Amino acid sequence: MKSLPALPVVPPSFSAAFRAVLHEVLARGARLRGARQENQRARRSALSQSGTFVGHRPYARGDDLRGIDWSAYARSGELFVKQLEEEERRTATLLLDLSASLLVGTPPRRLFALRLAALVGGMALRHLDGLLVLAPGAGPRARVVFQGPADLDRLLAHLEDLPIAASEPRQTMELLLQRSAAGRVHWISDFADPSACEAVLAAVRRRGGHVTGWLPAIPEDAVAPKSGYVRIADPETGEHFTVAIDRQLANELQRELELLRRRQDRLFAQCGCPLLRWSVPATEVPDVAAYQELSALCSR
Amino acid sequence: MLPLVLQAPERLWWLLLLPVLFWLAMPPRPRTVVWTAHLPQWVLAQQTLRRRPPRLRGLRFLLLALACVAAVLAHAGLGLRGTPGPQRLVVLLDASASMAGQGAFAAAQAKLREQFATLPESVDLTVLRCGGPLVRRYGASARTLQDLGPAGGAATADLAALAARVAGPDTVVWTLTDGQGLAPLPTVGALSLVSTAAPNGAVLAVRATDHWPLPQIELEVVVLACTTTAVTGALSLSGAVEPVPGSPPLGRQLLETPVELLPGVATTLQRTVLRTKAGGLLTVRLAVPGDGLPGDDAWQLELPPLPAPRIAVLSEAEGGPFAAVAAEALAKEVGGEVVPAAQGQEVGLLLVDGGQAPITPGQVRALCFGSRWAGAAEPSPWLQPVVADWDRTGPLGAGLDLSGLRIACAFRETLPPGEPFLWALEAGGEKVPLAVVAGGPELASVHFAFRLQDSNLPLLPAFPQLLRRAFVRTYGAGAALKSLTDAPPAGEQDLLARAVGTERPIPPLGTDDQSLGPWLLLAGLLCLSLRAFVR
Repeated sequence: MKSLPALPVVPPSFSAAFRAVLHEVLARGARLRGARQENQRARRSALSQSGTFVGHRPYARGDDLRGIDWSAYARSGELFVKQLEEEERRTATLLLDLSASLLVGTPPRRLFALRLAALVGGMALRHLDGLLVLAPGAGPRARVVFQGPADLDRLLAHLEDLPIAASEPRQTMELLLQRSAAGRVHWISDFADPSACEAVLAAVRRRGGHVTGWLPAIPEDAVAPKSGYVRIADPETGEHFTVAIDRQLANELQRELELLRRRQDRLFAQCGCPLLRWSVPATEVPDVAAYQELSALCSR
Repeated sequence: MLPLVLQAPERLWWLLLLPVLFWLAMPPRPRTVVWTAHLPQWVLAQQTLRRRPPRLRGLRFLLLALACVAAVLAHAGLGLRGTPGPQRLVVLLDASASMAGQGAFAAAQAKLREQFATLPESVDLTVLRCGGPLVRRYGASARTLQDLGPAGGAATADLAALAARVAGPDTVVWTLTDGQGLAPLPTVGALSLVSTAAPNGAVLAVRATDHWPLPQIELEVVVLACTTTAVTGALSLSGAVEPVPGSPPLGRQLLETPVELLPGVATTLQRTVLRTKAGGLLTVRLAVPGDGLPGDDAWQLELPPLPAPRIAVLSEAEGGPFAAVAAEALAKEVGGEVVPAAQGQEVGLLLVDGGQAPITPGQVRALCFGSRWAGAAEPSPWLQPVVADWDRTGPLGAGLDLSGLRIACAFRETLPPGEPFLWALEAGGEKVPLAVVAGGPELASVHFAFRLQDSNLPLLPAFPQLLRRAFVRTYGAGAALKSLTDAPPAGEQDLLARAVGTERPIPPLGTDDQSLGPWLLLAGLLCLSLRAFVR
């Protein structure tokens, strides 16, 4: 049997046009969903002076008197302020699916997944304290932290350089829980296998975390081809078979796709998490309106 | 292990079609590849509809391959190897006259038919009828013994030599004979003997002296008895004859007389009979007790009817009485009568002496002496021609003495074209005809170039006989006695003298390779039929 053709090539995700659109959308001040709660929680943590002690620094004028370590003053006669690490910073986590299954679609779903990550990450950098990007299967670049709006370009570069990599659910779970992810987790994936996501969602919920599922929806997710004699191939596993598509098979496939959609919705609903579907644009040419709409979706 | 053989193994190259068939049996390769993230959904949809992806159907391809292999093997001539051995059988069937006795020839043919029924179709069969005319039958006509005819005739072929000559490494000779007259029997090939031993009496020859147009016939009958002891047989004459009046005893008994015959000795019996006026068949038959070969017991002659000669005479006024005397002599000789020559008179013979003969030579039974026939040139006299010779072997002049013939004057122009039987010497020594026979074998006229009055022919003693012979000659073959029976072949009469030998069976014959082509094609069709029901 002749080997399968090469996988679809993902065009450059962050072209200049997209960057312009991204900056324009971010400049309009849309806030990431849940950013307000993150601010309130961070303020409460700072006021109660709770946190993990990491060291001292000399007292400076204007410092909060509640931060002075009086025991150290008694021993040394000088004023020191305790350095505490905040337990909950105003951060967000991006969990990216790098599997080859995102290469499906025209343009590929991965293109829009990365652009979605850029938009979500950009909003987080703009309105929160930091951004944790988790990319299971990306090796040393699997966990990267970004801080401040100035890191937007670095974030885009990082996202652009992420490889196509498959990952096991256990690997994703370890990456999420090994060093607990901060803030809301934005999981961008096609969720083609809902059962594999179930354990990850349950583990995050047990730790009290919040997950928002992002699914860049392509037409193939909802509409089955009506006819043809084609070879169906899975870019992730390489499995393929030949099939003659007729109306009966198309209807049945349509029904299976609807079932998949329902399973995905039910999975996130059972975990109390939202699953947001973004119908990707038909072309890779960025459209401000489409991404404005996406930013609005992020804000809800 | 079946002994298989391939007639054309080079045709097995067609088996190279199998990879092509395999390639053709593969499902078509789709030109479009659709990448999907929902492969499980595709699988589930197909499972729900109980569909399977198009793929090579192993059993269907196997049946197709088997049909192809069967067809190629049939094309290559696969078959069962035949049995080695001779593939040609030559039957020497003795059909000599002795085989006609005791039903031997029919028994031999029955044995042939019985054996031929068991012969493989591939055997190349030839039947040679040895006896009388050699008859060869080959193939299907040999198997059916087509038109072999009855036994008869002499054993013209030396069966032993013929069998030795025909036999070969690929040819089996089978001789069927009664052994009669053979010494020795064939020593090669198969041999079957049929029994014909029995006493036999045979009429070897019948010689007749016919006195036509007189009714008297003198017969010499040569008979032979092949018995172990002397026997008394019976010789009978039957048919269009009657006994000579006055020969005691009268009646039929004379025509059937007992004869004493010694074993193996030819006996000549003489009989004189009178034929009936109407003529007909005369059968001479010899009866011997226990005769085993009736075919040679009888001899038949066809006797012409007796004429009623009415002789008319035409002669010149100055011709003298010679013509009338000659007519009287001829009438006396042939038992006829002289009638006056008149217009419209039907006569048996016209005797013309000199003058003008109103006949066409060869078209009228006539005896002309110096008569000018219609259309002849003006005659010129030839004085005193010297008779040179006459046909001493022909039917007219044989045994006659014409040396005393003297001719005063002859007219050569009176001779029509014909067969001369009397010549004269010309001055230059050249022989010139003086008498001719004009006409055919059935009707003729005899012409002399001189008148009776110009010669001394009427005074010669041979003159009456010459007249009678001329009369007979004008009737030609119609007056001849015919023998309807051929002389029996020599050596075929003694059925007791036969070579004795031991019968030898036919050795096993080889068979051709048996083609399996039809069976292979049938198997191929069966495979294709089954394939139509396999999904």
